[in-house]
Amino acid sequence: MAQENFTFTLPDLGEGLVEATVLEWQVAVGDVVERNAPLVEVETTKSAVVIPSPKAGRIAELHAEEEQVVPVGEPLVTFEVEAADEPQAGIVGRVPAEEARPARRVRLRPPSD
Amino acid sequence: MTELIERADTAADTPVVELSMQQAINRALSDLLTEDPEVLVFGEDVGTLGGVFRVTEGLQKEFGDKRVFDTPLAESAIMGMAVGLAMNGWRPVPELQFDGFAYPAIDQIVNQVARMNYRTRGATPMPITLRLPSFGGIQAPEHHGESLEALFAHTPGLKVVAPSDPADAYSLLLQSVRSDDPVVYMEPKARYWERRPVQLREPSDPIGTSRIVRPGRHATLIAWGAMVHRCVQVAELAAEDGVDLEVLDLRWLKPIDAAGLAASVSRTRRAVVVHEAPLTAGLGAEVATLVTENCFRDLAAPVQRVTGFDVPYPAGPLEPQYLPTIDRVLLAVQRTLEY
Repeated sequence: MAQENFTFTLPDLGEGLVEATVLEWQVAVGDVVERNAPLVEVETTKSAVVIPSPKAGRIAELHAEEEQVVPVGEPLVTFEVEAADEPQAGIVGRVPAEEARPARRVRLRPPSD
Repeated sequence: MTELIERADTAADTPVVELSMQQAINRALSDLLTEDPEVLVFGEDVGTLGGVFRVTEGLQKEFGDKRVFDTPLAESAIMGMAVGLAMNGWRPVPELQFDGFAYPAIDQIVNQVARMNYRTRGATPMPITLRLPSFGGIQAPEHHGESLEALFAHTPGLKVVAPSDPADAYSLLLQSVRSDDPVVYMEPKARYWERRPVQLREPSDPIGTSRIVRPGRHATLIAWGAMVHRCVQVAELAAEDGVDLEVLDLRWLKPIDAAGLAASVSRTRRAVVVHEAPLTAGLGAEVATLVTENCFRDLAAPVQRVTGFDVPYPAGPLEPQYLPTIDRVLLAVQRTLEY
């Protein structure tokens, strides 16, 4: 499966915050991370927060040192991701999870005919 | 999920490719733009962005911004423009980005698109295919999970279709766009992503033909769009209990395949219709009536309906409680078995 790079930029973590300080990276270059795994702890003028990983993939590059101030919208981390393996959600909503074995409680009794 | 009935009419020489419904629709649009210079694709974000679900990705690049273009965020204007283009010989394929955004365009759809040909005694056909990402299942906000099929099916002059898998999405879109009548083509958003082996094929069944997805003998589950997948899940679970369910994908919601419904239910003697839309005056009522009219003497039990509730479509987290669950469908099946 083809690899492609995806660069995650620092999102606005509050209402109109303009920057954040990197406190601690919780991943290193070369790590393989799951989606929603803790990525980095940053501090804004409001609070310290851990940003979850937006993607599953391998960390290709960290764009900021610890203690460095990163403006909103600037690159934070670049992932190497599987190009076509994981379906991408649209701008609205999420890809429904497919259960391997759907849950049920009701059992049927076959008809006599 | 494997498809349980082979399509008999598949041409042997078409290659099997692994495609999602999203990609199958993209392929159909590309083939339509190629085969007919009068086909135009337009809507909110369908051009530069390639659609919010990437369904129109790459089409503007390939066919240019005169044939694939972005419109203002004005649904009534999008459909009004489609009417004007159709009057002048074009074959418009507009997209309204989400089901709930069709409401602002209802005036154009009902008062112009559906009636123009009738009003002009057949002089002004409206070969418009409205692509409408529809139904729920992706935990989106309000106005992004509506099921409008009953509204459109109730409007004389419109045809309505909802594919349930990539192969049908491809051929039903070809069929819709080539039709000189206006078609509302409802895309089940929840089924956009799952990839399946697909043989892309020319449409061979006439408009208004349903399809047996899974044969069975104890009862027929009738559904369309994403609920077909739900019914196949139910049928597989019921099989563990020794209950053999048939799953009928209605596909065309106007015209409805009354003969296909009757053929299936006459054999199984029991029917459960499943849809996402609210119960009252939903299309399930129409299906139940057609079955009752045509199979009254064969029925072992009254036709059951498993539907959404009579409430506005709930936002994100409540969606799983609203949509027909596996257990609700199983209970309805049990009611027909025990009647």
